[in-house]
Amino acid sequence: MEFAVIILPLLGALLCLLTRNRRLLHVVNGFVAGLFLLASLYMTFRIIDTGTLTSPVLASLFYLDPLSVITLDTIAIVNFMVSLYSVGYLEEELKHHIITGGMIRIFYVLTSTFVFTMVLVVTTQNLGVMWVAIEATTLASVFLVGFYNNKHAVEAAWKYVMICSVGIAFALLGIILLYFSSLQVLPGPESNLNWNFLLENARQMQGSMLKLAFIFVLVGFGTKVGLVPLHTWLPDAHSQAPSPISALLSGVLLNSAMYGIIRVLAIVNKNLGGSLYTGRLLMGIGLLSIGAAALFIYSQKDYKRLLAYSSIEHMGIIAFGLGLFTPAAVFGAVFHMVNHAFTKSMLFLASGNVYLKYQSREIAGIKGVLKILPTSGTAFLLGLFAIAGLPPFSIFASELSIMAAAFEARHPFAGGFFIILIALVFATMAPALLQIFFGDAPQGSIRPGELNFTGTAVIVILLVMISVSGLYMPVEIKTLFESAGAIIRGGE
Amino acid sequence: MQNVLYIPVQLAVMLLLAPLVNGIIKKIKAVSQKRKGPPVLQLYYDFYKLMKKGTVVSETSSWIFRAAPYIYFTAILTAALFVPVTTVLAPFSVTGDMILAVYLLALARFFMALAGLDTGSTFGGMGSSREMMISALLEPSLLVSLFIVGLIAGSTSLYEIMKFSVLSGITILQPVYFLIFLALWIVLIAETARIPVDDPSTHLELTMVHEAMLLEYSGRQLVLMELGAALKQLIFITLLANVFIPTDIFVQGRGFLVTVILSLGFYFVKVVGIACVTAVIEINTVKLRLFSVPNLAALSFAFAFLGFVQYFVIGR
Amino acid sequence: MNHYLELLSILILLSSFILAAAKRIISYIWIFRLQSFLLVIMAGYLGAVNFRKEGDIDILIICMVILVVKVIYIPRLLENTFAKVAYKVEKDFFLNIPISVLICCGLVMLSYFSIFPIDDLREGVMKTYLVNSISVILIGLFFMISRKKAIGQIIGFLVIENGLFIAALLSAHSMPILVDLGIFVDVLAGVMIMGVLVFRINENFESININKLRNLRG
Repeated sequence: MEFAVIILPLLGALLCLLTRNRRLLHVVNGFVAGLFLLASLYMTFRIIDTGTLTSPVLASLFYLDPLSVITLDTIAIVNFMVSLYSVGYLEEELKHHIITGGMIRIFYVLTSTFVFTMVLVVTTQNLGVMWVAIEATTLASVFLVGFYNNKHAVEAAWKYVMICSVGIAFALLGIILLYFSSLQVLPGPESNLNWNFLLENARQMQGSMLKLAFIFVLVGFGTKVGLVPLHTWLPDAHSQAPSPISALLSGVLLNSAMYGIIRVLAIVNKNLGGSLYTGRLLMGIGLLSIGAAALFIYSQKDYKRLLAYSSIEHMGIIAFGLGLFTPAAVFGAVFHMVNHAFTKSMLFLASGNVYLKYQSREIAGIKGVLKILPTSGTAFLLGLFAIAGLPPFSIFASELSIMAAAFEARHPFAGGFFIILIALVFATMAPALLQIFFGDAPQGSIRPGELNFTGTAVIVILLVMISVSGLYMPVEIKTLFESAGAIIRGGE
Repeated sequence: MQNVLYIPVQLAVMLLLAPLVNGIIKKIKAVSQKRKGPPVLQLYYDFYKLMKKGTVVSETSSWIFRAAPYIYFTAILTAALFVPVTTVLAPFSVTGDMILAVYLLALARFFMALAGLDTGSTFGGMGSSREMMISALLEPSLLVSLFIVGLIAGSTSLYEIMKFSVLSGITILQPVYFLIFLALWIVLIAETARIPVDDPSTHLELTMVHEAMLLEYSGRQLVLMELGAALKQLIFITLLANVFIPTDIFVQGRGFLVTVILSLGFYFVKVVGIACVTAVIEINTVKLRLFSVPNLAALSFAFAFLGFVQYFVIGR
Repeated sequence: MNHYLELLSILILLSSFILAAAKRIISYIWIFRLQSFLLVIMAGYLGAVNFRKEGDIDILIICMVILVVKVIYIPRLLENTFAKVAYKVEKDFFLNIPISVLICCGLVMLSYFSIFPIDDLREGVMKTYLVNSISVILIGLFFMISRKKAIGQIIGFLVIENGLFIAALLSAHSMPILVDLGIFVDVLAGVMIMGVLVFRINENFESININKLRNLRG
């Protein structure tokens, strides 16, 4: 039963591979995604009851705790939404002869495999296996990024696979160093790469070795997270992929990679005690990401790329929160991961609707979205407010808690800088993108009306989710987030 | 006794063996090309014949052209005295003789290059400028390599370095020595005008380097130049053979004369072995364009440098 | 025992230097094959020692896997890919070779200084191992960014993987076998995917020169 969450996406991939009928394909994929969502919700309830969860078989590999279950749920929810959205999106593209019927099957098979690899990342406690899974996420999504197989898509796919594979190789070096230093403490047991084992023995390991290992892991997984200056693949991949895939990439792939950093961070920080070593690195790189993203957003001409840069910004915010490492900051960071996942995937899905209608990614060529696409256009606009950190949306709550934590932890300069940069992002994003919503619709072939009805429904659901969670959060979920924060902070 | 014997033995072995090395390499190359090739001793016959012939000297040349062969040969011969063929006999020793040997070789090269320029022929000038470029490129790696073996052995005397090698077993198996061995091998190839840096068997004006400078020489002077070049090659081979593959440890504890003869026998085997490998390399590579020589020099320097890093990493 | 491992690790480092000085794609592939073969020898040696001491054959299995995957299969795959794509003879490197080699020397120094502050390593020779393997990784990275052709970049990636593998093998006597096999599956799948992408680049751009991939910027 425990393995249902891992097996279901794989099963989905297999079933899609065997199905020939196009309509059946949509149904199968949506159904399996729904089952997967149910399974991971079931896991969440069990975790809320028991705290941590492992399986009698493969105890050294399979492991769930509040942190992993939060990430798992994010994956499941976004995946479910994306599979519903894809039905309308792909049918519409098929109608326009952008893709062929056979490509839909490939799309579903690859997407399910991609989700499977991400699930593997969050359900294992063996850091080596986790690395293998993160590398596999890249490999599974390369052809999704290059799905359209034109010049731009191939270029994006090539950059994506090269930069991410190489970057991630450095993370493996970091993990090797971790393993090596744990072998020096306790040679013998098979569980030397297990996260729990490493956390328990963190204090006996060698500080200088762990510092080096952390740098490598930060560089490695940081490439995958898209932290500046290792972000170059991210805007290309996000803008060239089909919109549902952009939502998956931005919403959950970045989180899975961040999850890898968090796991190692917990070990290293426990060893270093109160030292600010990792904190400085993470805060610095976080602020750099936010600032660089602000500049790129300002000069952006392509709205999907703009959203991609906004993802970089938010990953920077999460890194900043992790760098502060106070309970409130860590809580904020984890909460922000979830909020960003929902908000950004909603935005990418909405931008997909815009793209279907206008067949253009240029900001300059689009006008009057609110008139042409009344529902998803409005959602898009509200989502932009949400992503910029305006209340009442949930991102405001998490950003606020990180901000407050910065001042509480006596980092007034970093905190002040953080606020300035966030404001800068808001200031650059608004003029860049607001122009597409207003004005008159261009004359000619574009007629008002939604194209992708399931997709629009999904967008509205996500919009409701991010609005509600900004205002109200059930106690159980809050406890879950708090215990995830406690786990990151080494069980305190 | 040892000191007295050293100089005649050293000179005799060096002078007699040097042309043989060339003969062996030529023979191996010929066999690989399915030719019969000249006899192994051909160079000796050539020298004998040339000694009997008169010399022709260009009218436009100055005294440098006439003096160069003698300076070249003596400088190299003096340098050869610092590179003992066997550690059983103790040479006379000067502080820093390793550096002295390197600069004696540089002096010889300097005069050869001058002589090439002196006649005013285009080929000579081209050869000189190329030779100086190649040697300038390889000097860093030669010096760095020698300094590292010197540092390890704690001496700048080649004899002491060889002694140290004898005591530490087959040194080439140690990473540091292995790296320096490779670096020096590249230097050997370049300094002795072998493929892939220079082709000793060609007289094609576009490619020749070493031969271009000797074009104007004839008779006795040519003998001195050729023999000097062969000696220089043997100096490098001796360096490789005695520092990196020391065999004198196997011959200890016998009578004096037996030891010397055995030691020289091993030495002979090593020299022939290195000559064979050099020939094989020459067969299997093509000559590099002159502008690609820096690549080779950079590699050689990188090897020497790596050896340096390794030494300091392990040295701690 | 340490002598041979040290020598092998240095030979692998040397092979990456020679790679940095190589000029043709066919020679890249050959040098990579040679490097992987040295890796096989190293794994075989360590595996044999481990087998005699503790009787476990994990490293020997890994050794066979490297032999099949990295010495035989991947170079073949790359050669086939190379034979099928359009190829124009042109300079493949951004920096000239002496400079590249000197930069590689600098990278060795860099890894030396990054390992140097770690005190109290169990064996002194461990430092050499780590320096050598991290240097191989860095040189692989440098090779990758200094070449223009797609296949050169793939080779760079593979050299990085080799370096990682040496680091694991020499410092920790390789990772647990499950992880190692996972890594190999990833590498193999990665190279296949990159090979397919090379074809697609060749189709779309009529060249495998990465310099042409400049449509997406900013």
